[in-house]
Amino acid sequence: MGTYIARRLLGMIPMLFAITVATFLMMHAAPGNAIEAILNPAIKDPQQLQQQLLHANGLDLPLYQQYLNWIGNFLIGNWGFSFGQHTSVLSLIGPAIKNTLIMSILAEFFTLIIGIPLGLFQSRKPYSSFDYSTSTASFILFSVPSFIFAILLIYVFAIKLRIFPSQGSMGTGPGAGSLIDHIYHALLPAISIALVSLAFYSRQTRGAVLEVSRRDYVRTAYAKGLDEGSVFRKHVLRNAMIPLITFFGFDFGGLVAGSVILEGIFQYQGMGLLTITAVQQRDYPVIMATTVLFAVAILLGNLLADIAYAAADPRIRYN
Amino acid sequence: MSTNISTTTEAGVTVRAGRPSKSPTRMALERFMYNKMAIASSVILLLIVIMSLAAPLLTHQSPTVQDLAHTDAPPGNGHLLGTDTSGMDLFARDLYGGRIDLLIGFMDMLIVMVISMVLGGVAGYYGGWVDSVVMRVCDFMFNFPFLLLIIILSAILNSTSVWVLIGVIGLTAWPGMTRLIRGLFLNLRDSEFVLASKMAGAGPMRIIFRHMIPSVMGTLVVQATFLFAGLIASEAALAVIGFGVTPPTPSWGDVLSNAMGYFQLATEPYAWVPPAALITITILCINFIGDGLRDAFDPSFQV
Repeated sequence: MGTYIARRLLGMIPMLFAITVATFLMMHAAPGNAIEAILNPAIKDPQQLQQQLLHANGLDLPLYQQYLNWIGNFLIGNWGFSFGQHTSVLSLIGPAIKNTLIMSILAEFFTLIIGIPLGLFQSRKPYSSFDYSTSTASFILFSVPSFIFAILLIYVFAIKLRIFPSQGSMGTGPGAGSLIDHIYHALLPAISIALVSLAFYSRQTRGAVLEVSRRDYVRTAYAKGLDEGSVFRKHVLRNAMIPLITFFGFDFGGLVAGSVILEGIFQYQGMGLLTITAVQQRDYPVIMATTVLFAVAILLGNLLADIAYAAADPRIRYN
Repeated sequence: MSTNISTTTEAGVTVRAGRPSKSPTRMALERFMYNKMAIASSVILLLIVIMSLAAPLLTHQSPTVQDLAHTDAPPGNGHLLGTDTSGMDLFARDLYGGRIDLLIGFMDMLIVMVISMVLGGVAGYYGGWVDSVVMRVCDFMFNFPFLLLIIILSAILNSTSVWVLIGVIGLTAWPGMTRLIRGLFLNLRDSEFVLASKMAGAGPMRIIFRHMIPSVMGTLVVQATFLFAGLIASEAALAVIGFGVTPPTPSWGDVLSNAMGYFQLATEPYAWVPPAALITITILCINFIGDGLRDAFDPSFQV
C-alpha cells in the first residue's frame, strides 16, 4: 500500500505540471494584462508606467522564464502578490479556504446525516409508499440545480422571514468572525448544496443495498439462521457501503474547491468567489494559486477514494 | 404482456408465442408509453419547445429592443411581465430565451456524446496504453480552469456569443461521459459477439460503431438525456455568476441573473420566478423522460 500511495503521489507531479502550464499559457494568451487592468488610463504617460511596472514584476520576460520564476517561487512558499486586491496571495487564500471548508463540511454533514439513513430506510421496504414517495422526491431534488434552491432559500429565509443573511461569510458587531457566526452565514449555501447531494447519496445507498440484498451470500446468511438485524449489519450494510466510500473520496476534492456557483450567488468569500474575482481581474498570481489548490485537492480526493476502496473491500489490493 | 402465451421449456428458457415478435426498440417504446410521468414530461417539454420556437407569434415585443420610457417597470404598458433595468420586455426574453438554452443544451449534448463515444470507445476497446493516455487526458480536463477559458475566449473574440459558450462547454464537459462509455466498453470487449466480429475480420472502427455502440445504445440514450438536462443547468449557472452569453442575447440564465439583486428578489417576483420556473420545469421534464427511457430500455423492468 505504501509504495502504491508513493507512486500515485509521484504521478500527480506531471499532471500538476501540465495543468499549471496550460493555465499559464491561457492567461497570457488573453489580450490585455494585469497592469493595464489596474492602471488609471487618465494619468500622465500611462504607457511608460505600465512598462515600468511590467518590468518590475518580471512580466516582460519571455514566457518560459516567467513560468520558471513562478514555479520556483511557488515551491518555496512565495505565492506572489495579488494585482487586484493589493495583498499577498497567501493572505487571501487562508481565509478563503477556511470559509469554503466551513461551508462544504456543513454541506457534507447534512448530506451524509440525511442522505444515507434515508436511502437505508427506503431500501428496507422497497416499493412501499414511503419508498416510492421519498424516491420520487429525491429524484426531483437531484434534478433541480442547486442555484435554484439557493434563490428559493434566499427568498424565504433571508427576504421574507429575515432570519438568515442573504450574502457574505461573516457578520458585523460583537461575535463577528466567531465559529457560530461563520456557520450562521454558511448555513443557506450549505443547505443548497446538501439538498442536491443528499438526494444523490440516498439514491446510491438505496440502489447499493437493494443490489447487495440479492446476492447469494446474503441468502446463505439467512439460510444459516442469522437474524434479520445481523444479516443487515454484517453482510448487507458493509458491502453496500463500498461504492459510497468511493463517492466520499471524490467529495474530498469538492470540500476545498467548494461551489463556485453558490459562492457567487451568496457572495460568500471562499475559494470559488476568490477565483471568480481573480479571473475577472486578470489577477495572474491568484488564478495560478487557486488552480493548483483545486487540482491538488481533486487529485488527492481521487487517491483517497482508491485507498478507501481498498480499505473497505479486502478483495482489492493495489500492489 | 399478460396476454402473451408463454411456455417454459425444460431448460428454463421462456419462449413467448402468440404475437409477432417485436424489435427491442418497439418493446422499449411500448414500455415508455406506460410511464405516465415520462409521457406528461414529454408533453410539457414539447410545449416549452413550441413556445420558444413560436415566440414571435406569442408576443409582439422584441426581446432585445429597449423601451427607455419604461425601464425596470412592473407588468403593464404592453409589457406582460414588465421590463428589466434596460427596458427590455421580460415576457419576450423568457420566451426567446428558451431558444438559447435549448440550443446550448442540445448542441453541447451532441458535441459531448461524439467526443465521448470516440475517446471512450477507443480507450475501452484497446485498453492498455491507449486507455491510460485517454484517462490521463480526462483527469487533466477535470482540473481544467474552464471559467478562465470562457473569459479568455470572450476577450479574444470581444464577446461571449452563443457559439463561443457552446464551444467552451462542449470542449470541457466530456470527461465524465468519456469515463462512463469507456467503462461500458471495457465490460464489452471480451464478450462473444465482439470476438466473433473480430474473427470475421472486422476492423476496430467497425466493431466500435457497428457492434459495440448499438449494444449499449439504450444506456447511451438515457445518459445523453440526463446530460442534456445538466448542460441546460450549466448555461444558467454560468449566467448567474456572470459568465453567460453577452447581453442583449436573451437566455433564461441571463434573465434570471439580471433579477437576482436583493430588492428585485423581494419586490419583482414577475422578473425572477418565470425564468427560474422555466429552467426548473425544463430540467425536471428532461430528467423524467430520461428516467422513463431507462426503465424502457431495461429488459428486466416489468410494466
